[in-house]
Amino acid sequence: MLDLRPVFQVVGTLLGILAVAMLAPALLDFRDGNDEWRVFVVSGGLTLFFGLAMVLGTRAPGCRHGIRQTFLAATFAWVVPPLFAALPLMYGPLQMDFTDAAFETISGLTTTGASNIHGLDVLPRGLLLWRALLNWLGGLGTIAMAVAVLPELAVGGMQMFRLEIPGPGERATTRTARVAWVILAAYGGVTLVLALLLWLAGMSGFQALAHAMATISTGGFSTSDASVGNFDNAAIEMIIMIGMIVGGMPFMLFFQLAKGNGKALLRDGQLRWYFALLALGTMGVSLWLMTSRGLGGLSALRFGAFTVVSVMTGTGMFTVEYGNWGGMPAAILFFLAFVGGCAGSTTGGIKVFRFQFLFADALVQMRRLLRPHAVLIASFNRRPIPEEVLGSVMGFLFVYALSFALLAMALAFLGLDFLTAVTGAASALANLGPGLGSEIGPGGSYAALSDPVKWLLAGGMLFGRLEMFTALVLFVPTFWRQ
Amino acid sequence: MPPSTICWTGGANLSMSLVSRGESEDVIDLRPVLFINGFLLLVLATAMGIPAVVDLVSEDRDWRVFAISGMLTAFVALTLILGARPKDRASLTSRQAFMLTTVAWTSSAAFAALPFMFSEQHLRLTDAVFEAMSGLTTTGATVMIGLDHMPKGILIWRALLNWLGGEGIIIMAVAILPLLRIGGMQVFRMESSDKTDQIKARLNQVAGSITLVYLGFTALAAIAFWAAGMGRFDAVCHAMSAISTGGFSTSDAKLAHFNTAVQWVAVFAMIAGGSSFTLWTGPWKNGRPRVLDDAQTHWYLAFLGTAAGVLGAWQWAVNDMTPGVALRHAAFSVSSVVTTTGFVSTDFSAWGGFAHVVFFILAFIGGCTGSTGGGVKIFRWELLFALAGIHLKRLLHPHGVFVIHYNQRPIAQQVLDSVLGFVVMYFLTFAVFSLALTMVGLDLITALSGSASALANIGPGIGDVIGPMGNYRPLPDLAKWILAAEMLLGRLELFTVAVLFSRSYWRG
Repeated sequence: MLDLRPVFQVVGTLLGILAVAMLAPALLDFRDGNDEWRVFVVSGGLTLFFGLAMVLGTRAPGCRHGIRQTFLAATFAWVVPPLFAALPLMYGPLQMDFTDAAFETISGLTTTGASNIHGLDVLPRGLLLWRALLNWLGGLGTIAMAVAVLPELAVGGMQMFRLEIPGPGERATTRTARVAWVILAAYGGVTLVLALLLWLAGMSGFQALAHAMATISTGGFSTSDASVGNFDNAAIEMIIMIGMIVGGMPFMLFFQLAKGNGKALLRDGQLRWYFALLALGTMGVSLWLMTSRGLGGLSALRFGAFTVVSVMTGTGMFTVEYGNWGGMPAAILFFLAFVGGCAGSTTGGIKVFRFQFLFADALVQMRRLLRPHAVLIASFNRRPIPEEVLGSVMGFLFVYALSFALLAMALAFLGLDFLTAVTGAASALANLGPGLGSEIGPGGSYAALSDPVKWLLAGGMLFGRLEMFTALVLFVPTFWRQ
Repeated sequence: MPPSTICWTGGANLSMSLVSRGESEDVIDLRPVLFINGFLLLVLATAMGIPAVVDLVSEDRDWRVFAISGMLTAFVALTLILGARPKDRASLTSRQAFMLTTVAWTSSAAFAALPFMFSEQHLRLTDAVFEAMSGLTTTGATVMIGLDHMPKGILIWRALLNWLGGEGIIIMAVAILPLLRIGGMQVFRMESSDKTDQIKARLNQVAGSITLVYLGFTALAAIAFWAAGMGRFDAVCHAMSAISTGGFSTSDAKLAHFNTAVQWVAVFAMIAGGSSFTLWTGPWKNGRPRVLDDAQTHWYLAFLGTAAGVLGAWQWAVNDMTPGVALRHAAFSVSSVVTTTGFVSTDFSAWGGFAHVVFFILAFIGGCTGSTGGGVKIFRWELLFALAGIHLKRLLHPHGVFVIHYNQRPIAQQVLDSVLGFVVMYFLTFAVFSLALTMVGLDLITALSGSASALANIGPGIGDVIGPMGNYRPLPDLAKWILAAEMLLGRLELFTVAVLFSRSYWRG
């Protein structure tokens, strides 16, 4: 039997953090004079109780922490907390049923941002803060996964991003701790700076903080049904756009920066592709807005850039309802949704580096056609890409495509139309948020969908967030055998 | 080194000799390319004689058009043959072979378009080229309306284009692509017939037996169609476009125009067209043709069965079809899309969202390798599936050694690599062409499904315009050119064309 104690330890600790986080909305509601603060306190107490029970009940000196425990811990770390995070939604003023509440929190913690709450503008601030906090914590979890867990597990080519072996003067544990602190500080720092800037640009302090949290985590929960469009303020849009772009960048770069290694930023091939794709998408959509919608150059750029950045980084905020735009922007956004941001960021999707790997390999293939015996090796950031990594990436891509196909079919089977099913599946897997079409497009809501559809989508979000294989490996029979 | 490398050395030497010859020249020598291309055009010119005769017999004025187009084509062909005749034996380097595949398909489509332009249909240049390209790549997307009342000559010309395209594809897939190592097709060079070191010799050897099978199937299908109640002319036309998985019909309503028995015959004809033709030839084992023992065939049939079953059940449960009708239409539509034929027995656009999504996804599957079908092909999906499985196992056992087996043979890393490269290029091409289609004004669904359909050489897409009962005529000209180019790319397995755009190809 697998030793499950380390798994409980991890999940219990996370529940503890979640319980502490519930204090923030409780305090805010208390100050506002909303009765809801009790719900948060009770939910927090309950969560803390379960968390402590897990941690204390399974404490054992020197228990082994193998690779299988890591897989289990990673999976359950994403599955269990949303269930507890749903408590305030179920017993708060919204009185959501379990499905709706779980959908909302899974969407929040996976930084998807698909919402089935309508009427955000009049909601008590505690709940709004709670949603933003879920995004923020989810973003942090995503970075932790991408920097520490996935590379170690070698999921989908992430082994290329293992922390480099420390020099002789430094112990591995201290270095890991240093990386963690720098990244945490950077994440918190950027959030604060964003909040400050948004406040200066005209948001209220609360709105600024909530949007900053949902932006840097590329989550996309807003405090208004009209999302960022509610403010109609170019400065705010600009700040949020930059925040989303930062959220889609590899956070390890902050560590490089802290070491004074500024050149790494310029040399990173992934960043170049990331910006190039953003620029290309923006150009396409803006040009379409100019020619087909008759917008002026600047406003076309304003709306085009925001939308493209929001979709590609998987944030899902919007300034205009792009659901009814024509074929070309729809196609651009649809394909960009699959790309996602960089490895080690808060974004979902296939991620830029995997496309780089595959593209590099396809070029090598082409040259090999002409020179079958030349030794040609695909490389990434001037490092050769090992054969297994390419295999992992391809396996990842295949499973991604397969999950997309199956999810889309299942959604359509439950009665959704083509556009809703296909874009909903893509959006859930990439942790994006809105899809296309009248129902789940920007400005729409997932509220009207049936319960099985919501569970399928929530499952897709978790599956995408776990980069598929972390969850899939649990279904391999040998996983459970000694 | 794994044992699999042993079977590889033979092939490796062969391609070394091929390429070293290619690299010794600085500028590519076009003469052999033009020479062989001339022969192919001569075949096309001869084929134009058939509709001419048909029109002459049915006393239609169009016979002149076919005769003149044929003579023109023959003239150009002979000029090429005589003018570019190489001094010694004709032999192709791999660079020349790449060039030949692209040039042959493009020039044939150009000449095949002549009768469309000058016959009584008077198609414009764009439409004519689109129709000819769609025919020769066995796509089956059409811009012609009013087929039921057209002269027989033009109808049989369309069927012939499908049929010739199908023949060309099998020969290319069996004789040329494996030598060029396109997209993992090397695997099939390990089949019985790889002892030869010359493309021409290989062609002669393989082409004969395969053409025989191809002809046999066509004849069988024609007889079956006729027995099921079609007229003789319709039976021959449909047999040609079914076995070639082309999909041109003699009626605007396509197969919906005919009876139930005909539709079932078409199902089996399409499935035969999408199976590996190489495996029908050669010695039988255990009293049955090798095709039945092939891993790819098993997946192919299992896949068709599952998809047809699910869709049939859906039609029966949701859209209130009787079980028999539901099964027939589901089996028909699924095999039509998976084998990339593009026949239509009913408007499956009206089946609702689920069917749309399923057919859109089926469009990426494709038939077996060595068949007339297009798409990614079953064999590549099998390997990808195995690759994903290995990644999963490696997560648990990071230091394990895993080898993928296909038909009980280990698959070399290089094969996996080229499959991988192919699939990536396939989806990239799909995305780029869909974007291009939206840029010329198509809506999202038409663009996505049209691009998928053209790349896989299927024919119909999804939506009001190009759906199963739709027609490509209303599309803007630019969209037609884009689609025609995409059909060619898909038909030539992407890399054959893409390599012509690489710098190292021209540097030599």
